[in-house]
Amino acid sequence: MKFYKDHYEVVIIGGALAGLSAALQLQAKGVKDILILEKHNLPGGLATSYVRGGVEIEATLHEMMSIGTKEDRLKVGAFFDEMGVDIDWLTVPEAYRFVETTKGIDITLHSGFKRMSHEIERQYPGWGRKVYEFMKLCNRVYDSMNILSVTPMSKVQMLLKHPDFVKTVGYTASEVMATFDFPQDVVDILTPYWIYVGNPMSSLPFTIYAFLMADYFRGGSYVCRKFSHEMSMKLERKAEENGAQIEFRQEVEKILVKDGKVYGVRTKRGDEIHCDYVISGAYPNKVYTQMIEPLSEVPEGAVKMINGRRLSVCPVSVMVLLDASAKDLGIKDYNVFSGDTMDTDAIWENYKTKGPYRYITSICLNLANPECTPEDRCQFSITALPLSDPFLDVKEEDYPALKRKIAKDMIDQYEKTTGVNIHDHILEIEVSTPVTIAHYVGAWKGCIYGYSHSIDDHAVARLQMKEEDHYIDGLEFAGAFAISGNGMGPAVTNGRAAAKAVLDDRAKKEAAGKGNGAKGNAEKKGGAAS
Amino acid sequence: MIGKGSLKVKGFLKDVGGASRVTKMRRELIQNASAQPKPGDPIRALADALHPGPQEFCVTQIREASPTSKTFRFEPVNGHVPVFQAGQYANFYLTIGQSVLTRPYTISSAPFEARLEKPYFEVTIRGNVPYLVPDYFFEHVHEGDTITASLPFGTFYYEPLRDAGKAIALAGGSGITPFVSMAKEITKGTLDLDLTILYGSVKHTDIVCGEELAAAAEACPRVKVVNIMSDDGDWEGEKGFVTTELIRKYASELCGEDGDVSYFFCGPLAMFRAVSKSMEELHVPARRFRHDVMAQPSNVRQIPGFPEELIGTTFQITVKRGIHEDVIPAKADEPVAMALERAGIPIDAHCRGGECGFCRSQLLSGDIFVSPIGDGRRAMDKEMGWFHACSAYPVSDLTVKIPIL
Repeated sequence: MKFYKDHYEVVIIGGALAGLSAALQLQAKGVKDILILEKHNLPGGLATSYVRGGVEIEATLHEMMSIGTKEDRLKVGAFFDEMGVDIDWLTVPEAYRFVETTKGIDITLHSGFKRMSHEIERQYPGWGRKVYEFMKLCNRVYDSMNILSVTPMSKVQMLLKHPDFVKTVGYTASEVMATFDFPQDVVDILTPYWIYVGNPMSSLPFTIYAFLMADYFRGGSYVCRKFSHEMSMKLERKAEENGAQIEFRQEVEKILVKDGKVYGVRTKRGDEIHCDYVISGAYPNKVYTQMIEPLSEVPEGAVKMINGRRLSVCPVSVMVLLDASAKDLGIKDYNVFSGDTMDTDAIWENYKTKGPYRYITSICLNLANPECTPEDRCQFSITALPLSDPFLDVKEEDYPALKRKIAKDMIDQYEKTTGVNIHDHILEIEVSTPVTIAHYVGAWKGCIYGYSHSIDDHAVARLQMKEEDHYIDGLEFAGAFAISGNGMGPAVTNGRAAAKAVLDDRAKKEAAGKGNGAKGNAEKKGGAAS
Repeated sequence: MIGKGSLKVKGFLKDVGGASRVTKMRRELIQNASAQPKPGDPIRALADALHPGPQEFCVTQIREASPTSKTFRFEPVNGHVPVFQAGQYANFYLTIGQSVLTRPYTISSAPFEARLEKPYFEVTIRGNVPYLVPDYFFEHVHEGDTITASLPFGTFYYEPLRDAGKAIALAGGSGITPFVSMAKEITKGTLDLDLTILYGSVKHTDIVCGEELAAAAEACPRVKVVNIMSDDGDWEGEKGFVTTELIRKYASELCGEDGDVSYFFCGPLAMFRAVSKSMEELHVPARRFRHDVMAQPSNVRQIPGFPEELIGTTFQITVKRGIHEDVIPAKADEPVAMALERAGIPIDAHCRGGECGFCRSQLLSGDIFVSPIGDGRRAMDKEMGWFHACSAYPVSDLTVKIPIL
């Protein structure tokens, strides 16, 4: 029985947001011969949901960034529009409520630079204006980053047109924020989102921090009416309509390489499929140490790259369906960041343990999507983002108890902070850890955040070193471990970037092929067959 | 004031050198790193240990669990028995002729037995129960055979973060098996729960795992077993059905009037309907009543809304796997998964009740009837025509796409 064609132009490993976006971007530029192989039995990777007791539960999406309003579409929203992917976005009501229990900070911020600075001004008179200026700086860096990531220009031009971007790019979030002389409480209030990029402020590039702050506070954040599975399904449907072949339950075990050039993949099932390009949703760590066949094709530089870079955080979440409405339970906020400190270095150390975690984030989806459960129910989750280290030595026998302990600690902490009773209302409960992630999507060490956004692995440096980070001809990467890093918005951007790399390479080879009077494609096919 | 163009972080020269500086830092980070590949991923290894997928097991013991049921013991051939929770199930892959069928059975042994020096797990199966391939285990499985199974699955287990520390099990027929596992685990001291099992049978000879249950109750005061016979004149214990009154009586005995108690149900559909009514009468909150996956009844007339006029009709299903296509017959009164299995096309159905989603498939054309019993589809899947093959029935010719297995 023959389930696959002999050859595809592009094989995409992983039908998550990055892989699907890569497919759409390729299709928009005329590449139609695409095969997507997904390990799980549904698309989207972590952008997914599950059903318990007849109720659908969101698995991961807290807040989709880079969507923007219909009038002010941001990068990802505009891409979906352009691709004809029509998602029913619901606006998240607030940016966040932040509760710091040691100093007694409790403030809720909404999107809109003016609005949020007024909200800070009310509690910290005299600082609203400076917060506004700070947000405007973030916004200028944000705009510059969006332009510069797709438009090359000279250093002088960059300095003239994007001075704030250029002048802040070499500094950490803490360093730039220090120039504003904010009181510590205000610094704390502007810090909560750090965890969405998984690196302490003292080594997080300001560029990344600014991108995050401007994006969320300018465009707001969004969830899909029918859970993140809606986004995944609509991307998948579109890619399929455009002619891609998508196969589920197909884990790719090997990427076949000869003379430094990709020529195919082999699935766990044993199918060998040939192609010109592979876009990998599997981690470089896995690809360069396990998947490339033969491993002798892996250059030393690739191994040094994965060894040198540090993995970022991975989530532990407790997801519950509660037996009363959010209102009846006293849950008033969509999103609460809380903890006993906002010292991100201290939290980082704490995240190297098995908990209790000092900094957690909670989401009550009903506050953004009231119809996501029956009226007298609500769905609620609490997440902390430890490193994978504390899970490396867990024994199979001890795992269920560890999961329960982590979940209980997080629920206890949320209850203590907000006075809301969760324990006595649980109808359904699931706890996910890096192990859960590793099981479902196969992410390396369960780490969904890719490599740390640290100053010595800066996204801008990644962009500048794109060529030297490229080790095998025809192999591109699309996932949290790619240039733009983690998050569902950046996943889309990473996918598009991988597609662009394929398109550029294809154009280059076609031009060269024409120059030589030979067809690039024919040469490649010859290689694959040998 | 810091306005556009006038920003100063640490001085102009240092500020504008930022991009070169971070690139230099990154280049050094990579250049100074070890060139030794580190292929291990202990977290994926743990995930694989917890969810090993299909493995080979040897049938090391078959023993009678009642005059009409048998307990089958399985020891791993090469792999191991993964950690599971009492109440979860194993999915068996049975080869019958050219077909590979999957069948789920609750694990009746206790989790601690899978951690013994010679680890094993057991399932207990009743013969002559009209359920897909009723007597396969009785007729085809012998001691010394190897069989493929995957475990654990299912969400029907005691969860201390959610459930009350005192529980009443409501069991009918072979639905006793998850509670046998729980009772044994409680006896071992590794499940912190007080459990009263109300077990309904027709005659005392129908009691499944009676000896093991009695032994557990004998060994541990936290386990109590009450057998209830619906049609057994000689029976000296409780008689009749598992009624509201009976449940009230034993709940009150377990934890007093209005005590916090969780109810766990496993048994046939008719009993489920009666017990659900009792739960209402007893004002049991939703979170205190849990039930196992209900298998789709083999008599489709029991499924609410089933288009009975189609019974006896046969349709055609065009089945796409990758670029390959098969055309197979499909009876209107059998789920799509069964038509696939009859045709020798593997479909990895697990729970057989519509809930777990392992057999998620894509409907490309035609119409299906989806059983409302345990419909576990996601909203977007419903809207876009994805369905769970174990609980969807053809009502016209269909074209479907399923995974290549």
